[in-house]
Amino acid sequence: MSGSRVDLKVVLLGKEYGGKTSLVERYLHDRFHGDVPYQNTIGAAFGAKKIEVDSRTVTMGIWDTAGSERYEAMSRIYYRGAKAAIVCYDLTDGTSFDRAKFWVEELKRNEEFCKIYLSGNKFDLVENDKSRRQVDYHSVTDYAEELKAEVFETSSKTGHQIKELFFKIAQDYVKEPRNNDAAPEVPKTLNLTDKPKKADCAC
Amino acid sequence: MADSPGRPDGTDDEDQDVLIGEEPGASVHPMLATEDSYEELDYDLNIEAPITEQRERLASGTIASIVEEHTGPASAEEVGTEATELENDVERSSLEGDLSNLQISEEVTQRRADTVPDRQDVPNDTDEEVLQNREAGQREIKDEDIHSSVWRDHKKHVFILSEAGKPIYSRYGNEDKLVSLMGVMQALISFVQDGKNNLRSIVAGGRTFVFLVRPPLILVAVCRTHESQQQLLLQLTYVYNQVLSVLTYSQLSRVLETRKNYDLRRLLGGTEKFLDNLLNLIDQDPSFLLTAVRCLPLDSTVRDTIGHSIQSAKIKDLVFAILIADNQLVTLCRMKKYILHPADLHLVFNLLNASTSFQAADSWIPICLPKFDSAGFLHAHISYLDNSKACLLLLTVDKMMFFELAKCKEKIVEKLKKHHCIEAINRAVAGGGYRCLEVGISDLRHFIYKSKSTAQFTAPELEAPYREKEERARLFNMYQYVHQRVHNAARPLKIMFHVGSREAMLGWVTTGFELYAVFGPLATKQVAILAVNKLLKWIKKEEYRLFILDPPEF
Ligand SMILES: Nc1nc2c(ncn2[C@@H]2O[C@H](COP(=O)(O)OP(=O)(O)OP(=O)(O)O)[C@@H](O)[C@H]2O)c(=O)[nH]1
Ligand SMILES: [Mg+2]
Repeated sequence: MSGSRVDLKVVLLGKEYGGKTSLVERYLHDRFHGDVPYQNTIGAAFGAKKIEVDSRTVTMGIWDTAGSERYEAMSRIYYRGAKAAIVCYDLTDGTSFDRAKFWVEELKRNEEFCKIYLSGNKFDLVENDKSRRQVDYHSVTDYAEELKAEVFETSSKTGHQIKELFFKIAQDYVKEPRNNDAAPEVPKTLNLTDKPKKADCAC
Repeated sequence: MADSPGRPDGTDDEDQDVLIGEEPGASVHPMLATEDSYEELDYDLNIEAPITEQRERLASGTIASIVEEHTGPASAEEVGTEATELENDVERSSLEGDLSNLQISEEVTQRRADTVPDRQDVPNDTDEEVLQNREAGQREIKDEDIHSSVWRDHKKHVFILSEAGKPIYSRYGNEDKLVSLMGVMQALISFVQDGKNNLRSIVAGGRTFVFLVRPPLILVAVCRTHESQQQLLLQLTYVYNQVLSVLTYSQLSRVLETRKNYDLRRLLGGTEKFLDNLLNLIDQDPSFLLTAVRCLPLDSTVRDTIGHSIQSAKIKDLVFAILIADNQLVTLCRMKKYILHPADLHLVFNLLNASTSFQAADSWIPICLPKFDSAGFLHAHISYLDNSKACLLLLTVDKMMFFELAKCKEKIVEKLKKHHCIEAINRAVAGGGYRCLEVGISDLRHFIYKSKSTAQFTAPELEAPYREKEERARLFNMYQYVHQRVHNAARPLKIMFHVGSREAMLGWVTTGFELYAVFGPLATKQVAILAVNKLLKWIKKEEYRLFILDPPEF
């Protein structure tokens, strides 16, 4: 067992059925279960992964939260102390973008150091059939500009832009001075066994 | 165990029962609450249980009561009549379309007798069961046409509505389409309540209608099965608990108090599958019938090692550590002060059973265990250990404790691996329990034994012919039938011997245990009684493998 620590807490937020769990599955395990029926997340699931950026190893702790309204009241547990938030919406569902805006407001209010990444999911569905697109790319980028947020359009089915998204998050993290010169606190150990999901971090 | 546990034929002295505390699986260190929900429900049916007490009953760890005010056998008759009168009103109104779906008609409305008279065997409506199970996989049952005979003929409908009559859940069909039907149900209930009575059940058109009013919810079951009113009420109580487990009672009542017409489905979104799954389990798993938990048969030294491993990883604020494999309890470690109710544990089993998402990653979820505390959530760290069948739940009251618990889990896994416990659990699961043959009683086909002092039960694996879905359902119906007879509030039986066309069943209830044993159809009562005495000895001999008798504590 290798000892390490979670440096970077990432949280996924967004409307139910928006594709958060699929995004994490693709990134952590490089798989997509298109044929199994949708399983809504309950509470939240945690996973961890190491990523190399600029000759530095960063361990990400990723929180995949449930989109169901029921958990809204306790969402703070999950995003508290996050350095990055992937706010997801479904490119084929217009209302999911309204929900994304809700989360952005919530984060702006409560987590000033959390960087926001907007992820329009299920890109494969709109790629060849433009009529299915319900969220316009340019209105999202306009919105993002004000927030200084990044925008990605991703597909868990094809893997489109997913590595890029997480790499960008890690890169921004490493570049941010606040994350570098902070005196290392008591290093907490992380047990990364065969699977990169069991972790431990200070947050 | 007493050398000769008497002849349990109902004529002997009660003293001849197996000595209390000596019966198989008895323990003075219970980890589960032992009050029997079924018996309590019986009790509640016969006392005045004001609505205001309901909350405390839930939170204080006693079974939540039937909320309606008392209706004894005499006034129940009145309820029957009133229901009939109401129906006439309804019939006249424009709602008859929906009602006739359920075939309520004036002539057949009557209060159902306590028991099904002279039934030789439990009916076998099994194609239905198969259908139900298949349907349960996904909610395509949503699309079912509520005017079709398929919908009407389901064996057991369950509906949840708000007190204002707003549909919340229907086991079959889209509850949206059932607005007027639910309106009728709500009207029925408030009509009867206005008359200072409470509507508990009516029988009409070959169906039993059972109502459970738990403000702010109303739960209704409509059945073609032969389950008793109490059995159905208990089932509705489980359904109610399931709703509470995702919302808490506080949140539920707050939401519906402030907005009577609030569409609760917004908050319950995504939990229908847990209700669906629960109802399917109730129709096939004796845990619910018995309010008891089944343990994974395991060598006691292995179980002890597992217990110690969990104990040694103890951290502050960890209230319960529960290890479950294949719908059976491996071990339960608890804070000394607290005890878990089997009904709460059933919700945990249902949670794991109904969702595969816990297998993919470690989860952190809020869960309300209403018997433990209906007002708030516990927080559960859920993980399958080392890709095995064993799932560990660590429950705490502190919502910020995920990482401490993740570390705690790592420690436990390390210990379990070192002692090869995970392999042992996998082996026990793969082995599929024990066989009835091991007992060495030739005519014994199957049995269920519940130790009351520990709220645990044991049963051998189902073998031919009961591996077939239909046969399994038939067997289960027979267990339900004998259970209902020996627990009949009006005429409780200590022992009952029921002969059907294909098997005979002995039911025996003492202060210490409940036993149901299935024999071939030619078995006589004498033979059966001799056999169960032998069976009790065998269970006693195996008790450390079959039960958790020394549960670990933090
Ligand atoms: N075609 C396509 N389908 C996708 C994609 N991502 C997700 N889906 C499907 O969309 C559905 C919902 O995906 P999830 O990842 O479970 O959604 P979620 O955001 O985690 O939902 P909650 O857990 O309820 O909040 C599933 O049926 C997925 O198979 C994608 O990139 N392409
Ligand atoms: Mg999800």
